Amino acid sequence: MTNADAYAPNPELDLTITRVIRAPRAAIWNAWAIPANFEQWWVPAPEVCRVLEMELRPGGSFRTAFSQDGVAFDPHITGCFLAVDAQERIVFTDALVAGWRPADSAFVTAVITMHDHPDGTAYTATAMHRSRADRDQHEQLGFHDGWGTVIQQLADLVESQA
Amino acid sequence: MAQYAATLDGVFQALADPTRRAVLVRLGSGPASVGELAAPFDMALPSFMKHIRYLEQTGWITTQKRGRVRTCTLERATYAVVDTWLSEQRRIWEDRTDRLEQFVLSTQDHDTNTDTKTDINTEQEPPT
Repeated sequence: MTNADAYAPNPELDLTITRVIRAPRAAIWNAWAIPANFEQWWVPAPEVCRVLEMELRPGGSFRTAFSQDGVAFDPHITGCFLAVDAQERIVFTDALVAGWRPADSAFVTAVITMHDHPDGTAYTATAMHRSRADRDQHEQLGFHDGWGTVIQQLADLVESQA
Repeated sequence: MAQYAATLDGVFQALADPTRRAVLVRLGSGPASVGELAAPFDMALPSFMKHIRYLEQTGWITTQKRGRVRTCTLERATYAVVDTWLSEQRRIWEDRTDRLEQFVLSTQDHDTNTDTKTDINTEQEPPT
């Protein structure tokens, strides 16, 4: 099953944040996997995050709500987990909802990993974004090469002409 | 914000087509007439014009008609819209990771404190 991890980050469209956190994996896992903890850091204060469902298993529902003022809540994440390996890895997406049912729209798949590090834990979050462009027309428009390539071409041009 | 999202959708939608991408890349090396831009494509002019209009509507290019020739110019500022969006996403995840780190470290401190002050903690915890 080497393909399980064979996702290839696209530097033009994907974001990878790596941080060594001076704490054991268990502590970071608990910050993620316990809803009351998760709610405390997922969004910046004074915004408020509320975990509606966090079923930590593949296909398990992941739904959160978000509030600007702590009073009125709007849906934030509506998705599901794709992979959950305790204290090692969490993968979720909003392309699918609970039970792997296709979602109406898709925006991101996030891969969170935790590895032991001499100073604590190497924590990596990779967010892979879907192009907002190809919602309904992916096949028709032949968008197979992704827009990262195009952005790079444009960036090169813009920079070379600047 | 809704306005910004709509703009962004258009900007990305415009990129979701190989003809339009090729046009943008060509215009990266300088303004060109619609005729020049259309030449490499096996496409009827009205169809090609739809792409040109779409790029214009979404802010990727500006066009100017002089006599019978319409000249297209790449609007470089629109590239910044894409770039800004990516920067925002990066910032969101950076800040989120900062908060996670702070949360974990503050929890750690708390745990450490309670560990070293077991004399004031009346609850017996099983050894781990």
